[in-house]
Amino acid sequence: MSLLKLTHLKVHFPTQDGIVKAVNTIDLDIEENGKVGLIGETGCGKTVLGLSIMRLLQPDTRIKGENVYKGRDLLKLSEEEMRKIRGKEIAMILQNPTTSLNPVLKVGDQIAEAIRLHQGLDKRAAKEKVVEMLAAVKIPSPEKRANEYPHEFSGGMRERVMIAMALACNPTLIIADEPTTGLDITIKMQIVRLMKEVTKQRSMLFITHDLDAAAEICDNIAVMYAGELVEYAKTEAIFKNPRHPYTQGFLNSLPNRGLKPIRGMSPSLIGIPNGCRFYPRCDHAEAACKIQHPEMVELGNGHFVRCLQYDRS
Amino acid sequence: MYAEYIIKRFFYSFLAFFISISITFSILHLMPGDYIHYLAPYLAEVNPEASELFRHQFGLDKPIIEQYFIYIYNVFHGNWGYSFQYRVPVLKIISEKLYWTLIILLPSTFLSIVIGIFMGAHFGWRSGTKKDLSVLNVMIFIRAIPSYWWAIMLILVFGFYFNLFPLGGFISISALELGINYLDVLHHAILPIFTLTLCSIPGIYYLMRNSMLLTVGEDYIITARAKGLEERNVLRKHALKNAMLPMITMITLECAHMITGSIFIETIFSWPGLGLLTFNAILARDLFLLQGIFLICTLIIIIANFIADLSYLYIDPRIKVGESA
Repeated sequence: MSLLKLTHLKVHFPTQDGIVKAVNTIDLDIEENGKVGLIGETGCGKTVLGLSIMRLLQPDTRIKGENVYKGRDLLKLSEEEMRKIRGKEIAMILQNPTTSLNPVLKVGDQIAEAIRLHQGLDKRAAKEKVVEMLAAVKIPSPEKRANEYPHEFSGGMRERVMIAMALACNPTLIIADEPTTGLDITIKMQIVRLMKEVTKQRSMLFITHDLDAAAEICDNIAVMYAGELVEYAKTEAIFKNPRHPYTQGFLNSLPNRGLKPIRGMSPSLIGIPNGCRFYPRCDHAEAACKIQHPEMVELGNGHFVRCLQYDRS
Repeated sequence: MYAEYIIKRFFYSFLAFFISISITFSILHLMPGDYIHYLAPYLAEVNPEASELFRHQFGLDKPIIEQYFIYIYNVFHGNWGYSFQYRVPVLKIISEKLYWTLIILLPSTFLSIVIGIFMGAHFGWRSGTKKDLSVLNVMIFIRAIPSYWWAIMLILVFGFYFNLFPLGGFISISALELGINYLDVLHHAILPIFTLTLCSIPGIYYLMRNSMLLTVGEDYIITARAKGLEERNVLRKHALKNAMLPMITMITLECAHMITGSIFIETIFSWPGLGLLTFNAILARDLFLLQGIFLICTLIIIIANFIADLSYLYIDPRIKVGESA
């Protein structure tokens, strides 16, 4: 059963230079207990998509489409109803724990905040819960660490705090935005394993450009390019049989697959061209690619791709 | 860690005080004019011997370097010299007048900090709204006009036209018979306090609004919202404390502004405080008194800065590690 269903989701920011079309007509399903990896280059709209699900973007953002969670369209809820969902039903792990933790508040208090708010526990009970959460994310001597400030934690430990904060109210869905970025390789694998462990009974949208981490955690992978999805398939299929030229290029750019960069730059999200968005960088480009915008087509077995090679309708 | 930080700050404060003593001394001795002349006009022409005697008595005939060392020695021994004009020790008259200055300076400092921070935080949080922009313009207007103009206008409107407050001074004539009445003093103090507060709010408001504008965009604000906190709690628990950090130093600087600002206000309101004393001391070229006033102002500012530095220990946890931010 689908837990979160995004239908034709569009997120546009009005700016002085024009409308930034950060997210364009995204359809995405997250099953109950399902883990979906959202991968793509920096600036392709991944983070904006995550924030728009939680409705955490600035007020003048234009969001269209549907964002149905457990049968309710989150975009139609009042601000107050939305607050009851944030942190309690859907929790978010923001990218960069160094700037995402409040520098002047104790780590324990920052975690306790959500617990006291959503579970109505008193100060003492919340404190116990905080220690329990810190222990759950494997922070040593949690009683002592709860009384420390973020600057006293290392990068990996801060990431664990972010995870503990998200887990605090036992959410059904976690949106994790690049939780492994900026960590060195040994710490990274610890965090990936931890993420895998704590989301056993939950759904997760795992936003990353780290394919190894995504492969380890997710059962499905969505590849995003310039504000739209270009391929969606089971994790295995993405790695063994990538169909979209962008996904192929992305995989080939990995160090263990030859470190071949994709030529060119990803396009600006202001004034996007009509045809295929990947066309200027694609090795398989044909004349039609410049004019016709390809639709998402299913190749069977839950493998979707947005490319004219397969779109022969 | 604490002790080391405090000792370090104390040393810098002391250094600042020492340097300001030297600067005060030099500036006043660079001023043109012979103060013996002001003390007893034409004495040097009429009776050169008496003039020399005076110079000798006050130590004005010694080399300037020697005067400097004597001065420094005396400052640290509580001897700040003798006022030519009032014929009493400088410290005595300063401490008397400081009391009156504090009567108007403390309430206006407190009020302007509270109001300025509240308004700055409130509108910085919701910047760009119509209310925010109109308040911003009003603040620019208040700030753009000098405090003495506001003082004169307030006296004209509330003192003269509406006759609500006295035109100046600190007690009514009736106090000569009845003695000093606190309510009477308060009645005289309201307009100066109001003027000082009015003119100090914009500065603090700007800084706070700016600081809040920077804080609003921080990632931890999004984290706080993502937890489901109400907007006012995000502001109160997460934004305010961070936005206040740069304010502490700014507030102490603003206090320095207010002390100088009070010179105009006290002069216009004939309020018998340090400001008026300064004004009169400049007119009379009361050299030692001026030195004393400058020193006491510097001392107040340095102490305020020292307190601000110490309060960071409690507000910014990052300083405890020993790194100064």
